[in-house]
Amino acid sequence: MAAWDLSVTVEDLGADAPPITVSVTSDLHIGGVILKLVEKSQVKRDWSDHALWWEQKQQWLLRTAWTLEKCGIQADAGLIFMAQHKPLRLGLPNGLTLRLRACFSGPVFRTVLGICKMLNIRRPEELSLLRPIEEKKKKKDTDLSEELYDLTEVPLTSVSRPCLYNGMPAHFADSLKTEKVYKMLSVSQPAPAPEAIAKLYRPASVVDKAHIHSRWLDSSRSLMQQGVQENDRLWLRFKYYCFHDLEPKYDVVRLTQMYEQARWAILLEDIDCTEEEMLLFGAIQYHINKLSLSEPQTMTSSPAMDDLDSALQCLEVKLDGADSSPQDMLENLTAPELNDYLKIFRPKRLTLKGYKQYWFKFKDASISYYKSKEESLGEPIQQINLKGCEAAPDVNVAGQKFCIKLLIPAPEGMNEVYLRCENEEQYSRWMAACRLASKGKSLADRLFQSEVQSIRSFLAMQQTNPNTHTDNSMSINTHSLVSPRYSKKYKVKQLTPRILEAYQNVAQLSLTDALLRFLQIWQALPDFGISFVVVRFKGSRKDEVLGIAPNRLIRIDLGVGDVVKTWRYNNMRQWNVNWDIRQVAIEFDGNVNMAFSCVTADCKIVHEFIGGYIFMSTRSREQSDTLNEELFHKLTGGHEAL
Amino acid sequence: MGTGVVVFGLLLNSFVLCFSLQSLGVETLPPEPPSSSSKEMNFSMGFADMNVESLNELEENDLDALMADLMADLNDTEEKLAVDLEGQKEAEAPPPDLPPAPHGLSFYPVPSLSTPTSPEKGPNTFSAPLADSPAPILSPPTLPQHEEIEAQMKADKIKLALEKLKEAKVKKLVVKVVMHDGSSKTLMVDERQTVRDILDNLFEKTHCDCNVDWSLSETNPELQLERGFEDHENLVDPLSAWTRDSENKVIFQERPDKYEIFKNPQNFYLWKKDKKTIKDMKDRDKELLVEENFCGTSIIVPDLEGVLYLREDGKKSWKQRLFLLRASGIYYVPKGKSKTSRDLVCFVQFDNVNVYYGKEFKNKYKAPTDFCFVLKHPQIQKESQYIKYLCCDDAWTMNLWVTGIRIAKYGKSLYENYKTSMKKAAVTTAWTNRITTTTSIPSTPSPTPKAKASGQANGHAPQPPAEPMAKVGNAPPPPPPPPLLPTQILPPPPSDPVLPPPPPPLAVKRIPSATSVPRQLPSLPTLPTSFPPSLTYMANLPPPPPSLSQDDSSESPPDFLPPPPPALGFGPGAGSLPSPPPVTPPPRQSNIGAGAPPPPPPPPPASAGLQSTPSVRKTGPPPPKRTTPPLAAPSGGDFMSELAKAMAKKRGNQ
Repeated sequence: MAAWDLSVTVEDLGADAPPITVSVTSDLHIGGVILKLVEKSQVKRDWSDHALWWEQKQQWLLRTAWTLEKCGIQADAGLIFMAQHKPLRLGLPNGLTLRLRACFSGPVFRTVLGICKMLNIRRPEELSLLRPIEEKKKKKDTDLSEELYDLTEVPLTSVSRPCLYNGMPAHFADSLKTEKVYKMLSVSQPAPAPEAIAKLYRPASVVDKAHIHSRWLDSSRSLMQQGVQENDRLWLRFKYYCFHDLEPKYDVVRLTQMYEQARWAILLEDIDCTEEEMLLFGAIQYHINKLSLSEPQTMTSSPAMDDLDSALQCLEVKLDGADSSPQDMLENLTAPELNDYLKIFRPKRLTLKGYKQYWFKFKDASISYYKSKEESLGEPIQQINLKGCEAAPDVNVAGQKFCIKLLIPAPEGMNEVYLRCENEEQYSRWMAACRLASKGKSLADRLFQSEVQSIRSFLAMQQTNPNTHTDNSMSINTHSLVSPRYSKKYKVKQLTPRILEAYQNVAQLSLTDALLRFLQIWQALPDFGISFVVVRFKGSRKDEVLGIAPNRLIRIDLGVGDVVKTWRYNNMRQWNVNWDIRQVAIEFDGNVNMAFSCVTADCKIVHEFIGGYIFMSTRSREQSDTLNEELFHKLTGGHEAL
Repeated sequence: MGTGVVVFGLLLNSFVLCFSLQSLGVETLPPEPPSSSSKEMNFSMGFADMNVESLNELEENDLDALMADLMADLNDTEEKLAVDLEGQKEAEAPPPDLPPAPHGLSFYPVPSLSTPTSPEKGPNTFSAPLADSPAPILSPPTLPQHEEIEAQMKADKIKLALEKLKEAKVKKLVVKVVMHDGSSKTLMVDERQTVRDILDNLFEKTHCDCNVDWSLSETNPELQLERGFEDHENLVDPLSAWTRDSENKVIFQERPDKYEIFKNPQNFYLWKKDKKTIKDMKDRDKELLVEENFCGTSIIVPDLEGVLYLREDGKKSWKQRLFLLRASGIYYVPKGKSKTSRDLVCFVQFDNVNVYYGKEFKNKYKAPTDFCFVLKHPQIQKESQYIKYLCCDDAWTMNLWVTGIRIAKYGKSLYENYKTSMKKAAVTTAWTNRITTTTSIPSTPSPTPKAKASGQANGHAPQPPAEPMAKVGNAPPPPPPPPLLPTQILPPPPSDPVLPPPPPPLAVKRIPSATSVPRQLPSLPTLPTSFPPSLTYMANLPPPPPSLSQDDSSESPPDFLPPPPPALGFGPGAGSLPSPPPVTPPPRQSNIGAGAPPPPPPPPPASAGLQSTPSVRKTGPPPPKRTTPPLAAPSGGDFMSELAKAMAKKRGNQ
């Protein structure tokens, strides 16, 4: 057979280096070509990750046993010999960018598997890659902040086993640098500055929200095929909103990143919520911030803490141990009380005097008051049981007003009572006591001190003079906990007490529980998990919105925003994509048919969403670790897969 | 099962209590000169913590009086227990020995109570916790001989122990329950009992059919309100909010609305769909709906919105508003605003209020219709501006809202309650049908429509099922093997239970039937695996093995029968379960074809849970009484033996 010359560009030799020409015959297989190439290049190194990329056809020549003839390669083919894994700048759900080596030759689905394995995120099928939103103006400082985290040095082979070392996957424990990366991945980021939130892009309408979904990469084709270049920026996001088998013990990174994605979705108003919900989200964020600052050191860096359970046990023992000495115990036994002169005001009794001073005693979840300290041994003027009451702050730090508003249930209704304290210190203690009492707990409860602490720190946040802050970690601008809409609507001093109020219900949660609670509330929002696409239904002349949810499809009127119709996947008989006219047709039980063409996103993306959700629902609890990749491609691949 | 769990919780409590005492006890033991007497005391103390309530009634500091009382109590309880052993369980017994109260209802508690008695028959048997706890109290009398410091320490510790006991103060109420036929029964209810416990108790007393609709409700005639208690609620709490002269009543009745959400979830979650789709809903789809909304990481609240009438504060008029239900509360759309989340105004959140049905509000408050519901703080008992009144156009809407609010307020508990009720109901039906069940696998009990719950039970409450299984394995050896074999033949069916989640995928035409097949295969292994775990559980559970012999002696015939049903029990569960797997029309048919006969067996795990309960219920209680040894094992061997000795001595003395 006649030999002919094939010229191949070797990427590693540099852009200016001339292509290497090897003499081949048509029955030479790809592997042989590579061998010749390497020999001729005379560079000694590990070439095992390299493969041939056929520029004109935009395809990889990965089957090394195929002959040139079978591949259809002739002398004019422009081949490039390059590494399959290249650095990629990955935008994480927490907003930070991480450089790592990703596979550019396999389907994106496989690439994501690899990335998630490196990042220690289980259930990678729920994530995917999308092209980021272009930043409006290139700022000089952006590049500086981005390159902080780098995992490109981590050898790919070391990622295979998920064994833990020092509380983190072994490949993170190699150097301080990678440990830092793991910390970034597994601990939620501090609250962003309100200005930073305001600067970021926020979708203003359903159509805006729909546009983001046109950016998803095609899971069945490789990064190279989709024009992604080395060092390009892509976002890694949870794409399918059905989180399977969430296990805090193993899912530290997954949980954290999920939280980050949820948090940003809320801060950027990507998902709508009510004011009350926003305040609760704010409160949990505050709580998580606080815990993340204190807990991570003990959680991740201590080797003994590999097992979260044992860590928790340790903690419990410690707590128990704290009051194990008889002396302490006795102290606890003498039921703690609070005694102080406070002022009381009962709006119902229309006394002109307003606040009146009495000697107050707090014991066993109830408040008694006496005319004076001297009479406190006798019968109180009144005793108020606080169990089941609502205790709300009525505080103005600047005005030195520290009142506790109590709504005390009684058979006749709720009794309103105001207690006025002299100063922050007194207020913190009495407020904490009232809070605990309202939940039926006494002062002896070990939550008391932490409750006092958190009330103090919230008061500190309201202080207008930033110089008085003693503890910087506690001073968070509450505007950074809510979306810009609410930042505009409320001043910090209005917002803070309301967040504090919501905070009472979550203050006892552990870090993990707080993360989970945040996710739960997020998932309970009516709009949760709906990805929007603008489509045009067959027979309709106007654009409408198709919402793709984990269990159903929703047709939404663009004008009014009303849900017109919903179809559930489990009534779905089949769906088809006509790739020529780019139309998706779906048939449901009972001869219900619908068809639409996609306006904002390619129909492959819509197809992949639907197929993906159906794939997600096939995962059962029992078969935990095996991912049926083939099925995924069958469901989402489109014509390429057939 | 649910009750079992609850009880277990209680046990744990007492465990903790004992434990804390234990450490003290260790130190105090040495000083005591006469070991025999001290041991004796030990024993009595063990009881003391059971009879916490009696302690509380005492003046805390009077140790002598306390001791005397304890002894008296102890004797009381012992007698009681002895009587119990004879096989006569008195439901009314609770008052003397508080702890038992729950037991009466549930099987588990009984063991703990009975343990003390065990010494009488089997000297070696004893639970460590019991043994330890007594020590502290004894020490006081013996103290004098030692240095003052030590004495002081001890005194402190005793005081501490007493305090701990005091903490466990248990409030009790005597409650008159109005039965469905208008008669009434009086019950002693302690504050640790849940409504579920009390229902179980009432089931035993009334011999009703135990279906899931039975519930306890409270009525408030003054406000003309009614509310069904949720099974997980404590009864004492809400009742203590009643005023002294209250005419409120507790009613035992069937409330179909109680668990309608799980029987026909589509009515709530797909209420917007046309009537026909809702009516024609397949069982499998219903199960899917329940799973979707109750088994995920977050509970999904039905997406309700509609115009309701709101009673204006203090006015007689009712005003229409557009209300929306969200997990975080009820919201309304202010005039001129849109329905978008950010414009909604919060009407009420559920943390501090309960939802009640209003009765005849048309007359009382001039409401537009009689279909009203009310939100109020449970402590409010009279007319007040803090009560929120809402009125719906029809009964169905009202039901929708009240149920929706319950889901938002109680979340997963509601579903757990339902599963517990289902098991309870299944047990009783199995019990009544036991003859038929033993003979025919498929025809077993009738839990049919609700079977879905059992299916989920697998995933959620693994522990409970395990126990039953264990029993099957140990108690009646012969029966267990047979079930396994048949199931193996039936392999295909088991896969079905596993499949339910996947269904949607199958629906897609693209999915090759092949894919479904492989899935089934993996499921097969699950059957066998489920058994081993149960065995391990058994190891921990003292009752099972010994129970065999004791069963005969104590509750003999009726109890003994139940075990067999469990094995067969798979049948019922299976029958109900099969439906879920078939996801899509095509695959499903294939499944059915293959697995048609098997269906009954597949659900083993679920059914196990279902059926097991019966066996547990009858057989469980008796065994523990004598089998204590295993229980003790975990806590402390030394104490056990010491305790045993003490018990023996005490016996001798008496």
